[in-house]
Amino acid sequence: MAEAMKQTVSSMLKGIERYNPDNLPTLEKYVEIQSRENAYDLEANLAVLKLYQFNPQSFNVNITCQILLKALTNFPHTDFILCKCLLNEKQLALESITQIMYLGDILEQCDFQLFWTIVSTKPELIQKITGFFDSIRKFVCHVVGITYQRIERSHLSELLGDVDDITLKHWVRKYGWHEDGNLVFIANQDENIKTKNINEKIDFESVGAIMASCR
Amino acid sequence: MYGNDDYDPNYEAGYDYNYDSEYTSRAGDATGDGEYGRQFYKMPDIVKKFLQYFHNAVNEGLIFELQNLYETSWPKLTEEYFEKRPWPEESEVATLVNNDPVFMILYKELYFRHIYARIQGGPSLEQRFNSFYNYCDLFNYILSAEKPVLLELPDLWLWELVDEFVYQFQSFAQYRARLQKKSPTELDTLNNNNKVWNVLCVLNVLHSLVDKSNIKQQLEVYANGGDPDSVAGDFGRHSLYKMLGYFSLVGLLRLHSLLGDYYQAIKVLENIEVHKKSQFAHVPACQISTSYYVGFAYMMMRRYADAIRTFSSILLYIQRTKQLFASKSYQHDQINKQTDQMYNLLAICLVLHPQCIDESIQQTLREKNCHEKMYKMQYGDLQEFESSFVYACPKFLSPFPPPVDSLPEDYSKEAIKHQTSVFMAEVQQQKMLPTIRSYLKLYTTLPLSKLALFMSQNQETSEDLLKEMRNLTIHLLCFKHKMKNIVWSKGPSGLEGKFQSGSELDFYIDNDMIHIADTKVAHRYGDFFIRKILKFEELNRKLHHLKI
Repeated sequence: MAEAMKQTVSSMLKGIERYNPDNLPTLEKYVEIQSRENAYDLEANLAVLKLYQFNPQSFNVNITCQILLKALTNFPHTDFILCKCLLNEKQLALESITQIMYLGDILEQCDFQLFWTIVSTKPELIQKITGFFDSIRKFVCHVVGITYQRIERSHLSELLGDVDDITLKHWVRKYGWHEDGNLVFIANQDENIKTKNINEKIDFESVGAIMASCR
Repeated sequence: MYGNDDYDPNYEAGYDYNYDSEYTSRAGDATGDGEYGRQFYKMPDIVKKFLQYFHNAVNEGLIFELQNLYETSWPKLTEEYFEKRPWPEESEVATLVNNDPVFMILYKELYFRHIYARIQGGPSLEQRFNSFYNYCDLFNYILSAEKPVLLELPDLWLWELVDEFVYQFQSFAQYRARLQKKSPTELDTLNNNNKVWNVLCVLNVLHSLVDKSNIKQQLEVYANGGDPDSVAGDFGRHSLYKMLGYFSLVGLLRLHSLLGDYYQAIKVLENIEVHKKSQFAHVPACQISTSYYVGFAYMMMRRYADAIRTFSSILLYIQRTKQLFASKSYQHDQINKQTDQMYNLLAICLVLHPQCIDESIQQTLREKNCHEKMYKMQYGDLQEFESSFVYACPKFLSPFPPPVDSLPEDYSKEAIKHQTSVFMAEVQQQKMLPTIRSYLKLYTTLPLSKLALFMSQNQETSEDLLKEMRNLTIHLLCFKHKMKNIVWSKGPSGLEGKFQSGSELDFYIDNDMIHIADTKVAHRYGDFFIRKILKFEELNRKLHHLKI
């Protein structure tokens, strides 16, 4: 359904049509569908926030929360910042939005253990978003993937939200990592991350002219 | 005269009809009472002649002559006769030019622009309204014609026209949000005229100019090496429409940025390679403005490598071509200001994302005392971050006036406060990174526990150390996350790109050992030797010429 709507919606985002408040109900419905079906369309969601910016009386806190939570699921992309910039201070002060802002802040700082603790106390906040936890785990794996060569198994499981052994194995396999005793081997990083030396290269052509003039 | 973000002369003066001054009373008198006006002031003959000649040049389409009149004569006469007063009233001018409606629209555009830029106390409410209506007339004339209108104007004029249109919207929105000094009648007038300087109206104009000219299609074909004329259509082939279309894209970039919509800001420039010369990009002020807003949007999106690339490339361009526009003083002020803002933004980006940049830009950063600021920011001085940001950011605005029943306060700063807080939240999240970076720079490998010890600064109990290790690991993950960002490499959309770590220091963790990769830049000898060689040559030549 989300796929089918993508077409309809994309025509609503062209040119000046993007600012037509009559499109708002459709676009809001599309947000709900994204939450339900674990789909994502940043551009459409930004258009909703834009319409709220232009028509403050239509502001819907429930939809806004879903948009923000969906933006969290798209970490490490900076969609969350883009959404935040379209809101205003008053809206950010609303309780449910403050809570999501806090979650975003913790995720940005990569304090994953704290994130899982907080989220477990607020199941109602995220229940509408299908696949929310796994999306966050994807982000965790992204950060682990760029940081570690080998990581302690227990630490990895903590970062993923204290997952059980089977789940851990699932994520390890999904990313092509290997278990190695109490460590997990992520990747050989020294191929990608190595000291760069920038040396000046002067070729003959570039000194030719000056040499010629010095005779 | 120009869409400068910063001049907002009526900020403190607020808005009150200064009827005691000769000029504003005349300017307020828009219906025109020639006799009354002449008592104060008679139009000099040279101005009369100029206007008639100007009118003639517009009608005949003498494009080179117009360029000269617009870029040289108008500013010169302004300086000489209208330094602190408005140009002559509409009614006085109309009689000189046989009431030519098109010329009068163009004249009034310049007339109001001059009031915005030069007249103390800024434009009155009435002048703001009239300027808006004049823009409506102009765009109606251009857009509703069945065939392309026979009007040709210099590109610089077209750019300043579009830029000024957005500037006046911005100025109005700021003015509108300052409720604290408005009388009930003024508020009534404003509330009853919500269509004037409405954001949708401004967007509509810019989008219409873009659509009418088929500029998007033209740019796409051009980017693929084709002939833009093949898709330009009847209107888009005309220079007037084509350039208005292009400048409207830049106008949209600015407008979206002012509203905090960075995604649309970058997206609207699809198929434009910002740092590349093209047949469209030859107005320096336009290119500089484009890079400023693009770079800023990238910075807000945490795409520091892209922001740094955008800023350095335009700053280099400015360095090289400075003399070219130094002669035109009114452009010069604007360009200087924006250049300065970009150096500040570049400094911020380089603190957050240290990376090698061109030596001559580095040099200017030193000259502009940006190094001291950078030093403070590196040491976590949040105040410095904030003041640099506020100085260098666009003047954000909220698209709609405060609700009718709001308390009479100043709401004009809310948008800028919000964007600042978004940016400062980002800085806060990264506040440990410079410290970690400074330690890592000293090693090629470093055990986690040892770094934790450094970070904890002489706490000795093992319990604290464990906690410190835990915190450190979080900071290190954060370091990697924040330094790995989307970087554009190719393709029509500036939004696209691949995740890269472009910063000069990188590392990975192998279980409990940090392996560090730094970037080492060897000294550059080439430049040094060339300079010495030239100096030696010069000396040698002088010696040969000596006659003893």
